[in-house]
Amino acid sequence: MSQQVIVEVSGLEKTYKKESFEVQVLQGIDLEIHSGEYVALMGPSGSGKSTLLNLLAGIDKPTAGKIVVGGSDMSKLSDSKLARWRHRHIGFIFQFYNLLPVLTAFENVELPLTLTRLSKAKRRQKVETALQVVGLADRMDHYPRQLSGGQEQRVAIARSIVTDPALLLADEPTGDLDSESAGEILDLLQQLNEDFGKTIVMVTHDPGAARRAKRLVRLEKGLLVGAEAA
Amino acid sequence: MLKLIWRNLLRNKTRTFLTLASVGLALFILTFLGAVLDAMESAQGSSDSRVVVRHAVSLTFQLPEAYEKRLKTVDHVEGVTILNWFGGTYKDQRPENFFPRFGAEPETLFDVFPEYRVGEEQQRAFEADRSGFIAGKSLAEKQGWELGDVITIKGDIYPLDLELTLRGIFEQPDALAQEKQIFFHRRYVEEAMSNPGIVGTYWLKLDSPEHVPAVVKTVEAMYESSAAPVRAETEEAFALSFLEMMGNIRLLFSSIGLAIVISILFITANTMAMAARDRVREVAVLRTLGFQRGQVTTLVLAESLLVGVLGAVIGAAGASGLIGFAAKAAEGFFPALSAMQPTPGMLGLSLFIGLSIGFVSGVFPAWSAARIDIVEGLRKVA
Repeated sequence: MSQQVIVEVSGLEKTYKKESFEVQVLQGIDLEIHSGEYVALMGPSGSGKSTLLNLLAGIDKPTAGKIVVGGSDMSKLSDSKLARWRHRHIGFIFQFYNLLPVLTAFENVELPLTLTRLSKAKRRQKVETALQVVGLADRMDHYPRQLSGGQEQRVAIARSIVTDPALLLADEPTGDLDSESAGEILDLLQQLNEDFGKTIVMVTHDPGAARRAKRLVRLEKGLLVGAEAA
Repeated sequence: MLKLIWRNLLRNKTRTFLTLASVGLALFILTFLGAVLDAMESAQGSSDSRVVVRHAVSLTFQLPEAYEKRLKTVDHVEGVTILNWFGGTYKDQRPENFFPRFGAEPETLFDVFPEYRVGEEQQRAFEADRSGFIAGKSLAEKQGWELGDVITIKGDIYPLDLELTLRGIFEQPDALAQEKQIFFHRRYVEEAMSNPGIVGTYWLKLDSPEHVPAVVKTVEAMYESSAAPVRAETEEAFALSFLEMMGNIRLLFSSIGLAIVISILFITANTMAMAARDRVREVAVLRTLGFQRGQVTTLVLAESLLVGVLGAVIGAAGASGLIGFAAKAAEGFFPALSAMQPTPGMLGLSLFIGLSIGFVSGVFPAWSAARIDIVEGLRKVA
């Protein structure tokens, strides 16, 4: 494992306001993730796992504290710079895949590349490579409705890696899948970590999934209660 | 981006079809009404150097025929003729048998309307026969009339039937609507009515258009204090005021058009808002992938603009087709509309209105979509 710190979280707090109530979801989180790590975030519902992941992805703003990812202090980025930063550095894998139903597997994977200046040929090459990595090169012209849940999630993973981001964030990537498909997705994530050196942070409820990671971080009521080798 | 916009448009085909149909229908009606109005306003074939004199109160009031002599003496007036609307019924009330019928003065008609081209022999035959009439070429062809044919016009305003013999056929290729009327001797009606000596309208031919204002002023002043005061105006103004007897048609048509466009605007805006609401989660995904707010705005707004433009194209194309068909069909019962045609200006206006509907309908959903909270958006159930 490389010792270069890719994610540095310090004193991170997040409070949501709901009408007159304030809910403190994260309470002073300090965390470091090194390049090439595969970290599983575990904890009961409402412990703040997904909130932490969203903050790392730059799709939510912390109430207090600091998040530095790949050397960028995210609290200092404007909305448009943050969008550009997400595009360059983050690959996000959702629990419910979130493919666009009107686009084919190929077009869904190509979507992040349409924000670049790459030529059409270059885009095609990258999309085909990503789909080959996830084992779906033969399904590139299929629409999401023509794919199984496991295949949809593999397309979503291809979409998340097609821009070659430094950090992959996965929010319960096997939460909506049967055990066989879940196993395939976990194999794929492990392959991405071990063979391609991707740094992965995965939120999961499943202890079996968490065991695939190299490090397990536990959260409870917004507090980091333990970090251990998986 | 373009692919995504197009696919989103086709995502809910029923909704898209109904929205396109609504916009298309609105612009179809608007384009068609515009063509009707333009045709009515332009079908008069008006001349800049003619002045129409009529009763100051209304066209339904008539003037003494004694005015004719004095009108001839006004400076810059080269000719004066009389036209009296007869009305009546030819054969039956079916629209194809309706055409304008005027009592005229054969000796002066062609001096004041030199654009009506008729052979000299036919003109003389018309002048010589008190029960003769001349008809426009288009009308004669449509009715299958030939020289010497006798027709009967049953009176309605005037309590008498006219038996008329076709003595001439005139042409006016520059204003085909004018070829769909007939002229007969006004003296024929006068005599049958025991010579009441009344006139509907005097038509003055001036030596130059620049003298119109002076002649109008002079003529109106001449009869200002008489029992039958007059209103003098250009032929074009007369044609418009004649149309306005049916009400302010332009205002009426514009109001109808505006009401339709506003209704459709609400429908389209509602549809676009629904479409944007349905896709909150997808917008959140796009934002997570790195799409900027402006790009999301463009996606939603472009879809809305596309609906507006496609609707406009469908509406304008449909109206263009119908205009041609309606112009042909109107030849019989409403000659003025037979000159109806889609103009580039009218089609351009439809496109502009379609774009405006698309823009106004899409701007708020686009603005809202760009400002969604990504985390909240991702929680929305698809």
